[in-house]
Amino acid sequence: MQHGDKIDVSGSDVSKELTIPKLFYEKALQYGENRVAMREKEFGIWRPITWGKYLENVKHIALGLISLGLEEGDKVSMIGDNRPEGLWAEIATLCARGIGVWLFQDCLMDEVRYIVDHSDTKFLFGEGQEEVDKAISIFHECPKLKKIIWDDPKGMRHYDEDYLISLKEVMELGKALEKEKPDLFEETIDKGHGDEVALLFYTSGTTSLPKGALLSHHNMLTMGKHLMAVDPCRDTDDYVSYLPFAWIGEQMMSISCGLQVGYTLNFPEEPGTAQENIREIGPHVMFAPPRLYEQMTRTVQVKYLDATWIKRKFYELSNKIGYHVANLKFGKQSIPWYWKFLEWLAEISVQKKLKDHLGLSRVRNAYTGGAAMGPDHFRFFHAMGVNLKQIYGQTEVAGISVVHRDGDIKFDTVGHPIRGTEIMITEDGEIITKSPSVFLGYYKNPEATEKALRDGWLYSDDKGFIDEDGHLVVFDRTKDVFTLRNGKPFSPQYLETRLKFSPYIRDSWVIGDKRDYVTAVLCIDYSVVGKWADEKKITYTSYPELSQKSEVYELVEEQIRQANKDLPEEAKVSKFANLYKELDPDDEELTRTRKLRRGFVEKRYEDIVNALYGDTDMVHIDTTIKYEDGRQSNIKTDLQIRNVKE
Amino acid sequence: MSTTFLPCSVYHENYAQDHGWWQTTFITGKMILLAVVLLGVIPYFADMYSLSVCNQIGYTILGALGVQLLIGFCGQVTLGHAAFIAVGAYTSTLLILEFPWPKILITAGLAYPISILVAAIVAGLWSVLFGLPSARVKGFYLILTTMAAQFITVDFIITQYVSQIGGRGQAFSLPPGTIKIGPWVIDNDLKVYYLMLVLVIICVIGIINLLRSRSGRAWVAIRDNDISAEVMGINVVWYKLMAFFVAGFIGGIAGSFWISNLAAISPEHFPWFWSLWLVGVILIGGVGSIHGTVFGSIFMVVVIELLQLAVIPLADIYPKLLIDFLFIKEAAFGLAICAFMIFEPNGLAYRWWQMKNYFNLWPFSY
Repeated sequence: MQHGDKIDVSGSDVSKELTIPKLFYEKALQYGENRVAMREKEFGIWRPITWGKYLENVKHIALGLISLGLEEGDKVSMIGDNRPEGLWAEIATLCARGIGVWLFQDCLMDEVRYIVDHSDTKFLFGEGQEEVDKAISIFHECPKLKKIIWDDPKGMRHYDEDYLISLKEVMELGKALEKEKPDLFEETIDKGHGDEVALLFYTSGTTSLPKGALLSHHNMLTMGKHLMAVDPCRDTDDYVSYLPFAWIGEQMMSISCGLQVGYTLNFPEEPGTAQENIREIGPHVMFAPPRLYEQMTRTVQVKYLDATWIKRKFYELSNKIGYHVANLKFGKQSIPWYWKFLEWLAEISVQKKLKDHLGLSRVRNAYTGGAAMGPDHFRFFHAMGVNLKQIYGQTEVAGISVVHRDGDIKFDTVGHPIRGTEIMITEDGEIITKSPSVFLGYYKNPEATEKALRDGWLYSDDKGFIDEDGHLVVFDRTKDVFTLRNGKPFSPQYLETRLKFSPYIRDSWVIGDKRDYVTAVLCIDYSVVGKWADEKKITYTSYPELSQKSEVYELVEEQIRQANKDLPEEAKVSKFANLYKELDPDDEELTRTRKLRRGFVEKRYEDIVNALYGDTDMVHIDTTIKYEDGRQSNIKTDLQIRNVKE
Repeated sequence: MSTTFLPCSVYHENYAQDHGWWQTTFITGKMILLAVVLLGVIPYFADMYSLSVCNQIGYTILGALGVQLLIGFCGQVTLGHAAFIAVGAYTSTLLILEFPWPKILITAGLAYPISILVAAIVAGLWSVLFGLPSARVKGFYLILTTMAAQFITVDFIITQYVSQIGGRGQAFSLPPGTIKIGPWVIDNDLKVYYLMLVLVIICVIGIINLLRSRSGRAWVAIRDNDISAEVMGINVVWYKLMAFFVAGFIGGIAGSFWISNLAAISPEHFPWFWSLWLVGVILIGGVGSIHGTVFGSIFMVVVIELLQLAVIPLADIYPKLLIDFLFIKEAAFGLAICAFMIFEPNGLAYRWWQMKNYFNLWPFSY
């Protein structure tokens, strides 16, 4: 069954001996005190940490872990914000020949317990009180967990559990061990081999319990090397690390690529200030899931709506020029000199400033991946002059396998495979991958491993095809592809991202598989619609109330009409409802990376789905919602169902 | 108001950078352009009349800086600043005319430069003397005590006693050639202009640097709430007196600078109205802003000059206008203050800030 288009095959050029710690050690010695490895914003300034200091900290933590009893292959979990200490802990774990496991910081207690227990975690690094509290409450349910390590002393004074230990104390233990055995650190690093497991990643599956993907040092390093071969970075570059380390994309930029290139990682002051901090740093390279680019688009659209007349006109004009030039580039047509001149005018008058506001003024390559990105958003960034590229990959290939090349960008594809990667399409249209970065298997889950790994090929469960230019087109998850009433397959994600291009719509969920017509459930953007309502003098007190206002329904209907344009009749959204709440990963409606869990929501909102396909115009809702702290509350409301008029 | 808008990718790794003056090349370029205009374009193209207007502006800036420091940054309302300018002017003049300088210093032309420094210190100390009540009184009462400084110093001590020194009567004339720095005799408006430029630049830099130091922060804390400032461990009296000293010091410099532009000085050069005028300058320019001090000075001087230009042709028709000009000027001053209080209460500096924001936020409005 394995036939199809072969795209690119070539060998790997990373030595099997090389491990992440070896590379780290080499870089740290090479750069020493002269170069900044990372910065963290604290009290208003970007405190630099040199490679020398980085090495010293990692060494002490690694030796501290060893003296606490870490042995080869032991798992160490980490949970917390992006901060230098988190990365030190991870590298130290690898240096001590342990295996790193990252958890999403906003994981609920059950998820933490499941992952810590399932991964056989021995040590858990928590950032501060919040994480320590989570860890303490699950400690006795996870018998293999030995110590909980924290680094932020805020609120930790009265904790006296004997299995708690501060990072400082761990480092003291490390220093003591270093005095005793000065060469232990280097010796331990030298023992490592590229084929050993480095990281254990829990994929936030859209369907079932998280599965733990085992990635070796070699997986991580080859992936980084091959991505950097496509778009080389320099060691003078800046990168902002603010997305969860538990997401493979962040690991790939911070570790796989970061260590090989040696660029400076910058950690924001708080998660809430990330956007502002990115603007200050102005990274040269960034990789983020589509939702962050969607957020940027929304910001621009909303600010545009609120700008004064002259500013709006300038923006509109430069936008028109930008779109025209971007379309020419997408079509690989030559750009006439007068359009080049106009583009230059648009660049100096508006786009330069626009990129400055978004923190994109130095970006050479911006990547998006992890979920589908709508063509509208994609074109929006290209019209602004940002070199945005799609990436396709999954945790199981250590991040990415396919990426756009400069000057060969099509907004409905994800580009060509990186070096050493082979992509094929099976007879059923499934995308399969072979590369040195393909993972070792799922931890304690041989059935899943067997399903995903066959003859060295990774089965992605994604449908796609290869177009006439050799670009890979990812259609959708196999199980998510719709069959329309005319029997044609259709990707709901495509329609969802189109809907999300409206600044008023934050999340969308399109329904219509094997049904007579397509419908959608939408979540309005509370702040944007709220502002709009304020201006229109529409009173409201809460999200549920605002979402059900008839004026808001009209507004949303107009947005749907926009999205319906140029779609075939069968694929047009003809009925919709505004949801009374935003979709939330805490309610398990989205994954931690904010992908819609279709099966789950369809069951949870069965009433709404039935109403959308019935002939009522109102559905009564009586449900419970969960808050972040675990509290629950009951919601009773009536939801309108509305037809989209032509 | 003074936070700098930094473009993307300008960031700081330490607080020294964070407090740096010229954080972007754009600002550096702007400053170079300003230097070219001030040092090249204006002296080259301006006629003597325009230069004298510039000198008047510079004098106003030097005078208003002290007032800005006291009112705008330390919250100590003063209405007697002309007194300290007078002290500076008289100290400087007396030192030049009466002090038995060693011959060598006179020939080296150091008498005037030294007198500027001494005048500044004397004026500063004199200012501290009248700042002492600020330890106890605030607001309206402090205004009255500072007004007392004006009347005691200028109308009483200087008019009645200091002016009698040397038996010259009311005015001290400054013979040509007495004001010189080294071999450089200051005898025309262009030279005064250069001297003015140097002094204004030094004083503005000095004040801005002070404001971003511990003292500057203490002053602002006292301005915002003196009780909280004290609770936070700031020695309120000490810093208030320090503000008075610095304000008087700069007033002294202003005074001793101004004698270079005058043939003779008399107490009429430092009326109480001048104190009030300087307060008007900072109100119009913007309270709590160094930019505002400069903008206010330019605005007030230029408006009065324009008014004068307007009055002269009209005087042909109605000659009494010329005699009444002083009152017209005062009326215009009052009107300007009223207009600003109503339409632009935050002064010209705020307008400037908004203009910058308009372009900084381009193409958005926030």
